[in-house]
Amino acid sequence: MASQQQQAAAAASLKRRDSTQSRDSDIMTITPLGAGSEVGRSCVFMTFKGKTIMFDCGIHPAFSGMAALPYFDEIDPSTIDVLLITHFHLDHAASLPYFLEKTTFKGRVFMTHATKAIYKLLLSDYVKVSKVSVEDMLFDEQDILRSMDKIEVIDFHQTLEVNGIRFWCYTAGHVLGAAMFMVDIAGVRVLYTGDYSREEDRHLRAAELPQFSPDVCIIESTYGVQLHQARHIREKRFTDVIHSTVSQGGRVLIPAFALGRAQELLLILDEYWSNHPELHNVPIYYASPLAKRCMAVYQTYINAMNERIRTQFTSSNPFDFKHISPLKSIDEFNDVGPSVVMASPGSLQSGLSRQLFDKWCAEKRNACVIPGYVIEGTLAKTIINEPKEVTLMNGLTAPLNMQVHYISFSAHADCAQTTTFLEELMPPNIILVHGEANEMGRLKQKLVTYFTDRSPKIFTPKNCQSVEMPFNVEKMAKTIGKLAEQIPENGENVSGLLVRKGFSYQIIAPEDLHVFTQLSTAIITQRITIPYSGAFGVIQHILKQIYQSVESSTDEESGVPTLRVHDRVTIRQESENHLSLQWSADPISDMVSDSVVALVLNASREMPKVVVEMEPEKDEAEEQKNFEKKVHALLLNLFGNVKYGEDGRLVISVDENVAYLNKQTWEVESLNEGLKERVKVATQRAQATWKPIPVSANGST
Amino acid sequence: MGTSVQVTPLCGVYNENPLSYLVSIDGFNFLIDCGWNDSFDPSLLLPLSRVASTIDAVLLSHSDTLHLGALPYAMKKLGLSAPVYATEPVFRLGLLTMYDHYLSRKQISDFDLFTLDDIDTAFQNVTRLTYSQNFHLPGKGEGIVIAPHVGGHLLGGTVWKITKDGEEIIYAVDFNHRNERHLNKTVLENFVRPAVLITDAYNALSNQPSRRQRDQEFLDAIQNTLRANGNVLLPVDTAGRVMELLLILEQYWEQHHLTYPIFFLTYVSSSTVDYVKSFLEWMSDAIAKSFEHTRDNAFLLKHVTLLINKSELEKVPEGPKVVLASMASLEAGFSHDIFVEWAPDAKNLVLFTERGQFGTRARMLQSDPPPKAVKVTLSKRVPLVGEELAAYEEEQEKIKKEEALKATLVKEEESNSLVTDISKADLMIIDGHTQVDAAGLRGEAYRDVLIDGFGPPSSVAPMFPFYDHSSEWDDFGEVINPDDYVIKDEDMDMGFMPVGGDLDGKLDEGTASLMLDTTPSKVVSSELTVQVKCSLVYMDFEGRSDGRSIKSILARVAPLKLVLVHGSAEATEHLKQHCLKNVCPHVYAPQIEETIDVTSDLCAYKGRLSEKLMSNVLFKKLGDYEIAWIDTEIEKTAGGMLSSLPRSTVAPPHKSVLVGDLKMADFKQFLAGKGIQVEFAGGALRCGEYVTLRKVGGASQKGGAATIQQIVIEGPVCEEYYKIREHLFSQFYSL
Repeated sequence: MASQQQQAAAAASLKRRDSTQSRDSDIMTITPLGAGSEVGRSCVFMTFKGKTIMFDCGIHPAFSGMAALPYFDEIDPSTIDVLLITHFHLDHAASLPYFLEKTTFKGRVFMTHATKAIYKLLLSDYVKVSKVSVEDMLFDEQDILRSMDKIEVIDFHQTLEVNGIRFWCYTAGHVLGAAMFMVDIAGVRVLYTGDYSREEDRHLRAAELPQFSPDVCIIESTYGVQLHQARHIREKRFTDVIHSTVSQGGRVLIPAFALGRAQELLLILDEYWSNHPELHNVPIYYASPLAKRCMAVYQTYINAMNERIRTQFTSSNPFDFKHISPLKSIDEFNDVGPSVVMASPGSLQSGLSRQLFDKWCAEKRNACVIPGYVIEGTLAKTIINEPKEVTLMNGLTAPLNMQVHYISFSAHADCAQTTTFLEELMPPNIILVHGEANEMGRLKQKLVTYFTDRSPKIFTPKNCQSVEMPFNVEKMAKTIGKLAEQIPENGENVSGLLVRKGFSYQIIAPEDLHVFTQLSTAIITQRITIPYSGAFGVIQHILKQIYQSVESSTDEESGVPTLRVHDRVTIRQESENHLSLQWSADPISDMVSDSVVALVLNASREMPKVVVEMEPEKDEAEEQKNFEKKVHALLLNLFGNVKYGEDGRLVISVDENVAYLNKQTWEVESLNEGLKERVKVATQRAQATWKPIPVSANGST
Repeated sequence: MGTSVQVTPLCGVYNENPLSYLVSIDGFNFLIDCGWNDSFDPSLLLPLSRVASTIDAVLLSHSDTLHLGALPYAMKKLGLSAPVYATEPVFRLGLLTMYDHYLSRKQISDFDLFTLDDIDTAFQNVTRLTYSQNFHLPGKGEGIVIAPHVGGHLLGGTVWKITKDGEEIIYAVDFNHRNERHLNKTVLENFVRPAVLITDAYNALSNQPSRRQRDQEFLDAIQNTLRANGNVLLPVDTAGRVMELLLILEQYWEQHHLTYPIFFLTYVSSSTVDYVKSFLEWMSDAIAKSFEHTRDNAFLLKHVTLLINKSELEKVPEGPKVVLASMASLEAGFSHDIFVEWAPDAKNLVLFTERGQFGTRARMLQSDPPPKAVKVTLSKRVPLVGEELAAYEEEQEKIKKEEALKATLVKEEESNSLVTDISKADLMIIDGHTQVDAAGLRGEAYRDVLIDGFGPPSSVAPMFPFYDHSSEWDDFGEVINPDDYVIKDEDMDMGFMPVGGDLDGKLDEGTASLMLDTTPSKVVSSELTVQVKCSLVYMDFEGRSDGRSIKSILARVAPLKLVLVHGSAEATEHLKQHCLKNVCPHVYAPQIEETIDVTSDLCAYKGRLSEKLMSNVLFKKLGDYEIAWIDTEIEKTAGGMLSSLPRSTVAPPHKSVLVGDLKMADFKQFLAGKGIQVEFAGGALRCGEYVTLRKVGGASQKGGAATIQQIVIEGPVCEEYYKIREHLFSQFYSL
């Protein structure tokens, strides 16, 4: 009983050791550093098999300064191999200059072409607009410019490989250039959706469905379990509100983020105005010089937009609005009579949209249409609940009389889109990010009930809370070249070079190495000469005393006598006074040759003393006996209790366990696996020590 | 055994004919490139016609006629119906190139090999890929992955990589290893030891001057002619190399504030430049960077006027000017017409930027010495009058009636075919069919106008937008996800600026303008001889790697097997001999329709590496590689799966492997750094007083293709010997 327990314990300890070995490599850890159970400052950190990837690098719009950053101090930025940015929105890209310029990050950064072009404009604008003190500034214009040089571009579907990490991206809908990243590390795939929308709109394509199902899907949950109204209903509500407000002489404020959804709204408004001539006397202003500057980008990357826009583009530029005029600042704005103004920022925290809001909020006829997702803690979120009073920028309170409409055009997936998307992909692990804790919780519940039959694991980590997932990736090796000429049978031995590149393994015969890789192999032939003036036969005699295999012959060309030791080292009598040794470099051959050199030098010094004696013929049986003795002594040293058994076997007892060693075949029998292994290894080592050098070099003995 | 690979050239070996090759991989037939020459000679396509129906996929590498010109004809007449894969620029610019060729030809002859509709239909089947996109072929091609990579010759130009079971077959023709103004260099050099490399020998014998020098000569020649009050004609292609030339001129004009007008004259110039502007993703890093920083698109050409009609050029006031006109062969089209006008004036300059195709007028003029006079055929389309017109109209009536009759039959057929498609339950095909239907219907009104021999309009601009739409329809079909499709349907139903309506609107517009111009016409030709007095200059702006670079690139890529195509017999033979000596022992240069088997004799099998084995493996890092010696025992599971376990018995000692690449010169430096006297003497390295080090054999393989090196170290027994040996060993990893 006791032995069995011990056995089990031993096995268990062995197992534990095994599992600790694979622990650090086979567990994927995903940690949101931002956007974990919140919206804003998207940043997800992931490690697997020693590779580290970070997705997105945003700021939290409701905070300023360092407080707005993701929790970068939780990680070591220098370990990151690749940083992937999904799109240009501030909550996904705005801490990038800080991260690139002010941390130890030294990996590579990728984003799509359109994202990179807009990123620069957007962040420069952000730096100018944000009114924080100099100490609070996370980065300046120069940092942005410098970061531009470090950012590399990736096109949709283009597959790149960095340091063994393969990744590519799919269209995500959301905004121009928005991408979903698929990362493949050693065959385990992770999809990070960023913000995505499965609905095609006026200028963007819907998010693609990846053709491969990922093992882990990190997916946004902004809208939780909410469902979007159909697009045409939303558009109708939007245009109706605006139409009725302006026809009653009111003003419409549309606080919108300068880029992205704003372009979509402008397309809607411009089209609506074209179809309603009676509105032509009502001006539409678009108060964003930034958007104007980005127009060139929108005009260039039409290949990232949908067919509809590309079709229109061939005749005229759809972003050349006929009824919308730009507005530089509030000073230029002649506020008489009805008008529609779209102004940034969408949060109503500061800037032009806030100025106009303060001006208009007390007037009953006016309306404010909030067209997108609003982040917790911003004024835009506050007024959705229609409080009686609001606090103005100057600190005074004013009654909120203007109508507030919330019509969402933000291109985030809703619950229906998310469930169908996940249903198609069916990832076994789902990680929800980018959503408020409550919404996220509801979505999780919904998904759990929806997918009861397939029960994927769904995680909703908070910031800095790691999700660990074990992946047992089988390492596959391709044996190629000479080694693969025959497919080996069960139990056959294969030896060769194992070559790893990235995550792929190849087993190659040494001779083939240069064929299949860029590596080359070398053979170093060594030839040394030793002064020796004695008889060649003496050398032969001495060598035979030491080495098992010494063959003598004569060189065919020069006719000088040669000796070959263990088929490795050739000794030739070059002249009266010289011997030469030739062998090809190899640890064993080097050792043999060194000893030969020592013998020769010794021989020439001690020549007179050498007396040729007949060596007593060594008996095979005696040799065997000798060896058995040595093995016995060794085992005695190692295990303590070793006896000769009745049947000629050696009996090794350790505590309660007994092992039997057959002296003829050197096979070990024991009930205890652990002991058996050890005795076996000990015996094998003893054998190896007894006969260290195979008689011939090709190792056939 | 490895993947079976056969290569059969269909056109373009041992000469400079268009490129077209059949590559069959485990029975899956790829047609790589489908080229035609500028004279559209159907006899060149005979080999293709014999295999067209067996082709499973077409890969296009470049957007010029030499690489894709025969696609419309093959699709229409030869029974080619496979899906086509190309990059977005190759698709778009290829389409425009074909339009341009068609319109140029139609203007001077009753060109009937294919129509604009055929071009559209052919290009509808194109699946567009981006660079380094790994596309997994569906259906029969299961397991084959194709990926386009940067070629560097034309915008969107492609080096194709086909992968099956880890074996790479690379098709790289007309690549360019130099960065240019608007293009990045090819990534061909990044491929290592592919199983098969198919490449061209076109430039194997040519050498190029440095880019700077060549650009300067080019600009000097142009400027000198302009200063001398002469005109400069650059016969160019429609949408390929001309982009680089436009950029060179634009930049030079900008820098030097020149005021001479530059005209870019093709039937599709404005569309071409519009599209090129939106292909920034495909261009060089420099262009992308300048756009990111300044938002100035490099192809917003301030000094170049885009013309689509020669009459507009005639309106331009007299005076020196530069004209880039399409149809580089001077056989037809604008460049031909302008050449005829300008050739007799000694002040003018005709500057060829590419070698003319064999047997064309351009080639003739590039010969040395150039001919004093050339015969040209002046052809012109004139409206029909009088009796001819009456006869024509009568015939039209008849045809129309017949067609009306046929229409009912056709409809029936279509519905039938739709049913069969559905029964196959292949989404792609269904979508494809609906789109063809839709486009077909749209084209119907049009076809009446064009097919029946109406002349093309003199102002063709409005029709291109229309054609683009019909091909855009293609994309709706390609979206495999039915949901996407549903959303689009919904959009249209709801009528927010319905796509269909939009198209129709434009169609009407287009047709209307066409109708105005479609008076029945015929071609009138007259022969005359033109005295060639203007200067003729040829400068190589082809944007292909030159002979020397090709050789060094091939040596670096070091394919296991190399197939040479496209290039004069002399160049092919030269490159073949060179490669046999320096690149690899398996170099093939097959004849037309000669099938060569380049199946690699590579044996391979896959096996699992057990965790138990891997936990004891210690890797040594060598550059990108990590390497270790393993002794394993194979375990075969019931499923035939092999897995490698640690050996149960002690492995016999193996001969140690020394891995590393010893460069004698580097080693000399190294030893010198260690304070040992070293010098080269008689091909050996003498180290210190007595020891010599020598490389034996293997040295004949130059250019980086690694082999087994043989190194001999010799010397008497002394301390120095062991020291140097120690240093020598330090250069290698011993396994």
